[in-house]
Amino acid sequence: MARHNLGTVIGFEFVRTVTKRRFWIGTLAVPVIMAIVFGLIFLSNTTTDTAAEAQKSAQFRISYTDASGLVTAGDAALFRARPAGSPDAGIRAVQSGTVDAYFDFPAHPESTAVRVYGTDRGIFENGKYGAVAQAMLARAVEQKIASPQLSTLAAGKAQIDTVTFEGSRESGGLGTVVPPLIFLVIFYGLIVLLAGQMLNSTLEEKENRVTEMILTTLKPTTLIAGKVIALFAIGLLQMIVFTSPIVIGALFFPGELSLSALDLPPLIFDPVRMTVGFLILVGGFALFTTTLVAIGAVMPTAKEAGNFMGVMMALIFVPFYAVALMVSDPHAVIVQIFTYFPFSAPVTALLRNGFGSLNLLEAGIVIAILFGGAAVMLRLAVRLFQYGSISYTSKVSIRTALRGGSRRPGSGAAPTTPAG
Amino acid sequence: MDEARVHISGFRMDFGATTVIRDLSFDVQAGETFGFLGSNGSGKTTTIRALLGIYEPTAGILHINGRGFRPEHGDRLGYLPEERGLYKKEKVIDIMTYFGRLKGMDRRAARQWSLAYLDRVALADKASSLLDKLSSGQQQKVQLGVTIMNNPELLILDEPTKGFDPVNRRLLMDIIAGQKRAGATVVMVTHQMEEVERLCDRVILLKDGTAEAYGTIDEVQNKYGGRIIRIKYSGTIPPSPHYAVLLQETNYAELTITDATDEAAILKDLIDDGVTVRSFTTTKVSLEDIFLRVYGDQNEPDVGPPEAGRRTPDGRLSGDNRISRDGA
Repeated sequence: MARHNLGTVIGFEFVRTVTKRRFWIGTLAVPVIMAIVFGLIFLSNTTTDTAAEAQKSAQFRISYTDASGLVTAGDAALFRARPAGSPDAGIRAVQSGTVDAYFDFPAHPESTAVRVYGTDRGIFENGKYGAVAQAMLARAVEQKIASPQLSTLAAGKAQIDTVTFEGSRESGGLGTVVPPLIFLVIFYGLIVLLAGQMLNSTLEEKENRVTEMILTTLKPTTLIAGKVIALFAIGLLQMIVFTSPIVIGALFFPGELSLSALDLPPLIFDPVRMTVGFLILVGGFALFTTTLVAIGAVMPTAKEAGNFMGVMMALIFVPFYAVALMVSDPHAVIVQIFTYFPFSAPVTALLRNGFGSLNLLEAGIVIAILFGGAAVMLRLAVRLFQYGSISYTSKVSIRTALRGGSRRPGSGAAPTTPAG
Repeated sequence: MDEARVHISGFRMDFGATTVIRDLSFDVQAGETFGFLGSNGSGKTTTIRALLGIYEPTAGILHINGRGFRPEHGDRLGYLPEERGLYKKEKVIDIMTYFGRLKGMDRRAARQWSLAYLDRVALADKASSLLDKLSSGQQQKVQLGVTIMNNPELLILDEPTKGFDPVNRRLLMDIIAGQKRAGATVVMVTHQMEEVERLCDRVILLKDGTAEAYGTIDEVQNKYGGRIIRIKYSGTIPPSPHYAVLLQETNYAELTITDATDEAAILKDLIDDGVTVRSFTTTKVSLEDIFLRVYGDQNEPDVGPPEAGRRTPDGRLSGDNRISRDGA
């Protein structure tokens, strides 16, 4: 019967969520907003490029002085710049409006700043003065080198193609990093999108006074496990909706999206890292969900439970402070702490798994911690739900609930409803 | 002897340093309707919650069908809790189908049963409505429907008429009576004494966590004097060791016999004491009278004047402590 009820609970929780109009408004809003934002960025970039081109070709009056001797009269003529008598004269010319800009090239521009003076055209358009000064100097240097090839190499524009090996086998580079990190994206998506629902999942029974009907009909473990699984399924559905435009575009409209221009490396799906990533995702999700459910079980209202949301959110973002160390020194103390502390472990371990710095032993320990922690939190959530959900209007002391046993209100806290 | 449907023995329940129930024992036999009575705070709901495993008892045995209750056995239990509610943002038919499935019915059967029930309680047009769009009374009907799904063999109803108007209260009682006819054992926690007298085979009165009275209604009535004398008179009713004055208004009084004296002897005493008796009738003491006598001293604001119902040290109602009709 328990298995039958688990399926019933999962079905009820899943269906009642996905049949709500507000669920689809919320879910579809994300890709719609993304499309709008991308559209605006595209339009904005086009406008910016057009404006930049317009600025580049725009004629404005320039004077300059060059203590370095790099800028020749020919170079300056290309930019329609005329020499100033002195820096002071150049500045005064700008102030009087005789010229639009004056560039003061120092004797050692490689170590000393080029000073640029211009008529104020607003913070965005003022950028053109510096750009033209830079272009003048670059043109002058290219002329000195007198070789386009050397100029390109000196500018650090040489193309580099790196091949690395794991033993004798060629490693995948970025192509192996991206696929396992998909689990990190999914983890963030699930937690950020569903944390509120997790927190409120048992509060609903409490606030609606359904608890007693439920507790006499099915085991609280079944109820909570059913809710957790349903939430996971709902989260995956949302992720599918979010990513479907990208997947559809990549599969059916690659040309229109110019994906080849992105120069993406071929993705390599390492089965070991993918399996580890999946297990960390499931374990981490289960741990966070059961923790949030436990918190919800002891809080009388959604508002009070919401205060704990920030703490849980912080725990999943904190590991990013150590992301550089995860790559460069995965055995640093702080990385090890983040790897094995249950609430920072999912993000840290998923990052390290993606970067390839999480070995199998460490992965096994982390997975065990996550699943073990989830089991403990599930047990705790069940206890707190059994005890806390009957205290309809008051916050339950966790210590009291644990000390009193799963259903024994015998350690100080009387029930909030009359013992009639 | 048949095994009791509900068996409670030596039940004790502590909340911290406070003992709510002390050494409570009673049985509910299969097929009977059992009234579980007591004032607010007397421990009725606590007992029910402990019986159903929601609370863990401090001590004692609480069995249903010979074993401690577990949710896995809940498919044949119908429980209407005092603190009631359902999923407010869901459709009525979805809620009922869900609970039907939790109780072991398949989806189709649960849905069909629910629609038939909603039709019976005049809510057929609300099947697809969200629960919170229904009135409080309509929600109560839905909750009752959920309670009696899958033909429970044990119905535990905690204040079942709470929130019902008189018409729907009658409908509710008819439904409960129907469940009883179908063979269900019914445990009713209620303050509606008329319903208890009409429906219940046996009752228990809980006071301060112990059984104040327990047995058939006749047995309980007999314990509390059995009969009430209603008289219309003129003059002054004198104090007597043979009766206590329950109610006294102008030229009207209700007396309860406090010893073995019969009614005729009391009538003779009244006449001998100069009371002009215009009518003299006797009836059985009602459960409501008994309730007031048992709980009057702890529910003073609810039952009438501050002195109402207070008992003398020897257990009789004081002639000065009359209960007015309003207070009753």
